Amino acid sequence: MDKLPWVGVSVKRKEDERLLRGAGRFLDDLDDTVALHAAIGRCPYPHARIRGIDPGGALEMAGVEAVLLGRDVVARTEPTNVLRPFPGAATTAYYAMAHPVARYEGEPVVAVAARDRYEAEDALERIAIDWEPLPHVVDAEEALRSGSPLLFDQVPSNLLAASTVKAGDPDAAFRQAAAVVKGKLRINRVTGLPIETRGLLARYSDQTRTLEVWSSTQTPHLVRAQLAHVLRMAESDIRVIAPDVGGGFGIKMCVYPEDVVVCLLAIDIGRPVKWVEDRVEHFRGCTHAREAVHELELAGSADGTLTALRDRYVIDAGAYNSPFGPPMLTNLMLPGPYRLRDGEIERRVALTNKVPVGPYRGYGQPESNFVREVLLDRLARKLGQDPADLRRKNLLRPDELPFQNLTGATYDSGDYVRCLDLALSRVGYDEVRAGQAAWRREHRYVGVGVSCYAEFTGYPSSAFLGRTGAGFGAYESVTIRMDRAGRAAIYTGVSTFGQGMETTFAQVCASSLGLEPADITIYGGDSRGTPYSVGGFASRTMIAGAGAIATATGEIRAKMLRLAGHLLGVAPEHLEVAAGVVRRTDDPSVQLSIREVSEAAFLGHRLPPGDDPGLEATAYHDPPASAFGYGSVAARVEVDPRSGAFDLQRYVLVHDCGTQVNPMIVEGQIHGGIAQGLAAALFEELQYDRDTGQLVNGTLVDYFAPSAADLPRFELDHLETPAPATSLGVKGVGEGGTIGAAAAVANAIGDALAPFGVELDRLPITAESVWRALEAARSRPAAAVN
Amino acid sequence: MSSRHRIRVTVNGRAYERDVQGRRLLVDFLRHDLGLYGTHVGCEQGVCGACTVLLDGQVVKSCLMLAPQADGRTLTTVEGLAGRGELHPVQEAFREAHGLQCGYCTPGFLLSAVALADRGVVLEGKSLRAELAGNLCRCTGYQNIVEAVERYLRQTVGSRRG
Ligand code: FES
Ligand code: FES
Repeated sequence: MDKLPWVGVSVKRKEDERLLRGAGRFLDDLDDTVALHAAIGRCPYPHARIRGIDPGGALEMAGVEAVLLGRDVVARTEPTNVLRPFPGAATTAYYAMAHPVARYEGEPVVAVAARDRYEAEDALERIAIDWEPLPHVVDAEEALRSGSPLLFDQVPSNLLAASTVKAGDPDAAFRQAAAVVKGKLRINRVTGLPIETRGLLARYSDQTRTLEVWSSTQTPHLVRAQLAHVLRMAESDIRVIAPDVGGGFGIKMCVYPEDVVVCLLAIDIGRPVKWVEDRVEHFRGCTHAREAVHELELAGSADGTLTALRDRYVIDAGAYNSPFGPPMLTNLMLPGPYRLRDGEIERRVALTNKVPVGPYRGYGQPESNFVREVLLDRLARKLGQDPADLRRKNLLRPDELPFQNLTGATYDSGDYVRCLDLALSRVGYDEVRAGQAAWRREHRYVGVGVSCYAEFTGYPSSAFLGRTGAGFGAYESVTIRMDRAGRAAIYTGVSTFGQGMETTFAQVCASSLGLEPADITIYGGDSRGTPYSVGGFASRTMIAGAGAIATATGEIRAKMLRLAGHLLGVAPEHLEVAAGVVRRTDDPSVQLSIREVSEAAFLGHRLPPGDDPGLEATAYHDPPASAFGYGSVAARVEVDPRSGAFDLQRYVLVHDCGTQVNPMIVEGQIHGGIAQGLAAALFEELQYDRDTGQLVNGTLVDYFAPSAADLPRFELDHLETPAPATSLGVKGVGEGGTIGAAAAVANAIGDALAPFGVELDRLPITAESVWRALEAARSRPAAAVN
Repeated sequence: MSSRHRIRVTVNGRAYERDVQGRRLLVDFLRHDLGLYGTHVGCEQGVCGACTVLLDGQVVKSCLMLAPQADGRTLTTVEGLAGRGELHPVQEAFREAHGLQCGYCTPGFLLSAVALADRGVVLEGKSLRAELAGNLCRCTGYQNIVEAVERYLRQTVGSRRG
């Protein structure tokens, strides 16, 4: 079927009705009356040895059923396996509880199961632990210096992994450059902060020796695989079910230490055990993200051609290599959407006594975008060019695509220049330029900044992931079953965490089967009864999922045609599926309803020779390549140079995510991405105290997640260049909004304050950091001002 | 450990009488004692607003109150907006404007919006955003929430006036 009636339509979401009524079922809504409740005791130091632990006081308390200690966990389990390893990375045995050495504040060291959470927390207070604090380090660059406290005996100098990529001849390019700009840029440690924290409900059956786990996760199948590995169980003895999930953003992927602890308690006691992370635990239990220090250089020729890039950066990985570990896409996307062939990038990943980092929406792309785009503005200034002109000159043109960038990514399609130009005209770039001088005479500092990105979405095939040593594939899968009433059910391992999958999957399926989205029911997130699934992350669900739906519905459709043909006495090739019926192409009055065809498949009374009863298919889809989205952000600010306070007046994003299955949902994804991009750029930072090694702002009172009052209205526009390689031409859209935010605002502020020669070099950008940058510029020799 | 109290509350028009510990949070009482799971928990510190309910018509964060403090009072939770009938206009507005993604923050926003309508002012843009600052959403970027509430206030307050 070439016409897909429900693709490209802003269908209202199937998920909404239950969620609006308060009838969604999230993890903590699963109340099992016989369940016990776990509370987890955590290390109060950044680095410490447990000399002794005495749980006696807790075990005596009424209502306490069990206490679990680190030494039991280490004896009974495997360390969590790394699913996305860095080549050559050292091993950091990451057990679910620390024993005998804990390596970050918040690392689980003991757990209690009791009648309710209140009692379990009371019991934790009665457990006496004799701690021997050890020297710690919470700064990545410091951690790599010799003489720094070591986290693991077997990892020399806290270097988890290091690698260098080089393409072309960057040294020559730098020698010949008309201008070189350098910067040391710091990216803040933040976290995704879903409003629902993580949680788990585990039930173990002594009779069947099977474990049933309800988990607030984006990846039920990967959680099952990891639990099987860590608990030394067969995968077939574990069932993992994700109920409604209250936001993920990459944070709710794979197995966390607490998950293993809760399963062990459930196994030991033989009763269900539930644990729901509180928000203070969340800041210490869930992975952090993004922290890095880059030393970047760009080279340009006098006409504004970008000629080479050199970067040397350190990622702060925290204390362990978490299952998905530090971000992988920084290198890949560092060259950006530009015609750039020469470069050298050295990446070092450092261990520190902090919460381990993991994936967060963007996975390295916001980081590389910030450092590159901020330096591009400096290059433009140094060459005396307009930053938008410099970008336009270097952006790849449609006839240059596909283009393999210097770190190996192949950009597939699009019109990057047009995208930039749309953003510029929308934000009123020329008007700001024209008005700036006059405003400055009135002491008004208005600026406009842009940032351009290309975005890696989905994975380029399972084989690619295999070559990188990943513990999963790139595919997604579905089972689709028609019932006798002519409705379809989709069984998928992907869970529902806000991305609108139930609606978009239904749209693709309905389009292919001649049904309406309302005729489709989605059963998602249960490892039992769904084919192997990878899960919802890396902006890949629609890319891989749409392919699987297309294949499965294709099979079902072909069978419907055979069945209807048999019943009508018409050759199947003269039939088509359309809006609820199977009919003759040349005489639509000869038809059967899909309901009648489904009924016939169910009864099996009159089947064509060789066909079995039922209308059902299972399909896997492995995308043949990644799809590259792209976009341009343009921001307008006004800054008060006395205080550093700034007003983000306009925020424009023009993007291209290929075919849009549901434009309303796409727009929602972009909005959410921008908000998280701006949150990390302007508000949030997880701060560790150097001397005590403590996370000093790990509560929602102290960590400034923006509210509606803190963010501007976003203005969106889009282009639609179907991806050549993916099913339907979709490109991923979940992460794009985050990428360009920080650089666009930084560049706008830099532009507004150009007369002062201000250079912003750290995130988040706050009134204070702008004020400090102004102070630094004022104390620099006047040469900085052009 | 903690004293016990007998409390009587009316929630969504229905009267309940229960024994609770003195330290039981109102939100835990609503969720785990009465089974009204639509009220959510995101921080237990009064910041996120996921636990927002109406207490005698006023917006409160039910994680910041103890259950015994609600004795003798009347509460509305998200389950009370539409009952089993058609969606309430505020819910309809959120659906139309795509004002929710994961839906975890949504009940709190719905009740905050209802309380705004009860004040009888039509707010929009920045002034509305300021009023919604007591509820955090991590999925939507707020834009469609603001649009949904604007739509709802225009309809509800506008028509009451007209
Ligand atoms: S749970 Fe009450 S405000 Fe967050
Ligand atoms: S919709 Fe997910 S937090 Fe608001």
